[in-house]
Amino acid sequence: MFGLIGHSTSFEDARIKARELGYDEYADGDLDMWCAAPPQLVERVTVTSRTGKQIQGAYIDSVFVPEMLRRFKTAKRKVLKAMELAQKSGITITALGGFTSIIFEDMNLLKEERVSAVELDWQRFTTGNTHTAWVICQQVETNAPALGIDLASAKVAVVGASGDIGSAVCRYLQRRGVGELLLVARRPQPLVELQESLGEGRILSLEEALPEADVVVWVASLPQSLEIDTASLRKPCLMIDGGYPKNLDSKAAAEGVHVLKGGIVEFWQDIGWQMMEVAEMAKPQRQMFACFAEAMLLDFEEIHTNFSWGRNNITLAAMDRIGEASLRHGFRALALSDQAAAALAPST
Amino acid sequence: MATVEAAAATSAASPVSGGAAEACGLPDFSSATYKDAYSRINAIVIEGEQEAHDNYIAIGTLIPEQADELTKLARMELKHMKGFTACANNLGVVADMPFAKSFFAPLHDNFQKALAEGKVTTCLLIQAILIEAFAISAYHIYIPVADPFARKITEGVVKDEYTHLNYGQEWLKANLDNVREELEQANRDNLPLVRKMLEQVAGDAAVLQMDKEDLMADFLSSYQEALIEIGFTGREIARMAAAALVG
Repeated sequence: MFGLIGHSTSFEDARIKARELGYDEYADGDLDMWCAAPPQLVERVTVTSRTGKQIQGAYIDSVFVPEMLRRFKTAKRKVLKAMELAQKSGITITALGGFTSIIFEDMNLLKEERVSAVELDWQRFTTGNTHTAWVICQQVETNAPALGIDLASAKVAVVGASGDIGSAVCRYLQRRGVGELLLVARRPQPLVELQESLGEGRILSLEEALPEADVVVWVASLPQSLEIDTASLRKPCLMIDGGYPKNLDSKAAAEGVHVLKGGIVEFWQDIGWQMMEVAEMAKPQRQMFACFAEAMLLDFEEIHTNFSWGRNNITLAAMDRIGEASLRHGFRALALSDQAAAALAPST
Repeated sequence: MATVEAAAATSAASPVSGGAAEACGLPDFSSATYKDAYSRINAIVIEGEQEAHDNYIAIGTLIPEQADELTKLARMELKHMKGFTACANNLGVVADMPFAKSFFAPLHDNFQKALAEGKVTTCLLIQAILIEAFAISAYHIYIPVADPFARKITEGVVKDEYTHLNYGQEWLKANLDNVREELEQANRDNLPLVRKMLEQVAGDAAVLQMDKEDLMADFLSSYQEALIEIGFTGREIARMAAAALVG
């Protein structure tokens, strides 16, 4: 059985969702109430692979909302409690979605494996980053040519290059062959180490990199204050918004600048679930974060281990393996053409 | 899916800054402030174990075929009580028993009322589910910040309490069809009391480095789990548990 740990994108959305799902007391509750509320296993689903294989899964809402990020202890407890519930529910592999894995890593929760009576078994959890990195690479490979960008000569900037997903994307694109990798991150030292391990790539500031890049892969969330001078960008420019939350489209909207939601996959058929609506997917019955899909893939493939775990452990072999599984079981990476179609479709 | 650097980059909302809030060491067990707070928290625990003993014996009168089993549980509670009394002695603290008596009074009265009316379900909910779930959570949160002596005692106790919670769960599960309505009513009547009780001692608990929100959240998790085990659905449970949060 696979599990997904998710949360709403804001407190307001969470209350609306609670109302829709029949949790009226939660919908009426204030933030303090939500802080003390335990995680909820809100939905169980059966998913059928294109191969015909069926797996069962559960969606756990951690009852975390981004407004709790400033409440350090609360945020930490939310993540651990949701993981505890997943484990106690007998789920073999669970993906940490949205802020869950960010909190897990930033607050170094690896050392907190004991929650009350339960010892968390890390083998049962995955960040889903391997699949996310693979999907982002697919999105680059498919959509750049569609815009007339020749990857073989293109400059590809990776913003957040030294992170878990960013470094994997760099290695994958290096193997594939691109014109030049432009490496961008906040902290210089890991960036230098990445450059050394790659044996190539140019370290630049964000301001320097953007005007040069044909493709920009964002795997860092954007500071609220960030402003992008769209006039200075190359046209066409493909931007893959692989961070969380996804808010690049409002910052980089301009003629010739194509922003694609990164790390999103579409399944080959509808999944009868309600919960993806909270993630604001265009097609919530089929689309989901690639990290969630990784938990499904690991369950389909019966790989019951923490496939993606820790930092900078993602190998090309692991990306190839999860990528093959992704295609075999009926996932494909979200493309610009999907977004264009969604924009034209009547809103429901 | 998300990345570490993602949150770090969003410095305005970064959770990283909270690091300083972490583990500022154990409390000073010999300080007057600690002992003062401990005199009330420890008294509650002692009184709680005494109430538990009396309650199990009383429930045995309502289900005579289970009286032996319940007497066994009751005996364990007395043993716990002695353990916690030793914890106070060890720190040179005198438990404030009058405070503990008045602290438990509302729940005690509800139990006695249900007992007089022969309501097994309500009695079990109060004692074997609510009180046990709360005790388990509170003990778990106490253990990492307890003095070494109390820590050992509490670790032993917590294992026993699970068997008690389990006893209540099993009985209610087996009888759920007949007891559902009474259980929901008992939940409405008693769960808000737990929150009020917690609020009364939140300040003392904080001196012992036990956070009110942690206590509530952990209690609700245990309580929720017990209700799942008994056979309620997720939505029913969320509705029931909310009585503790908004009641």
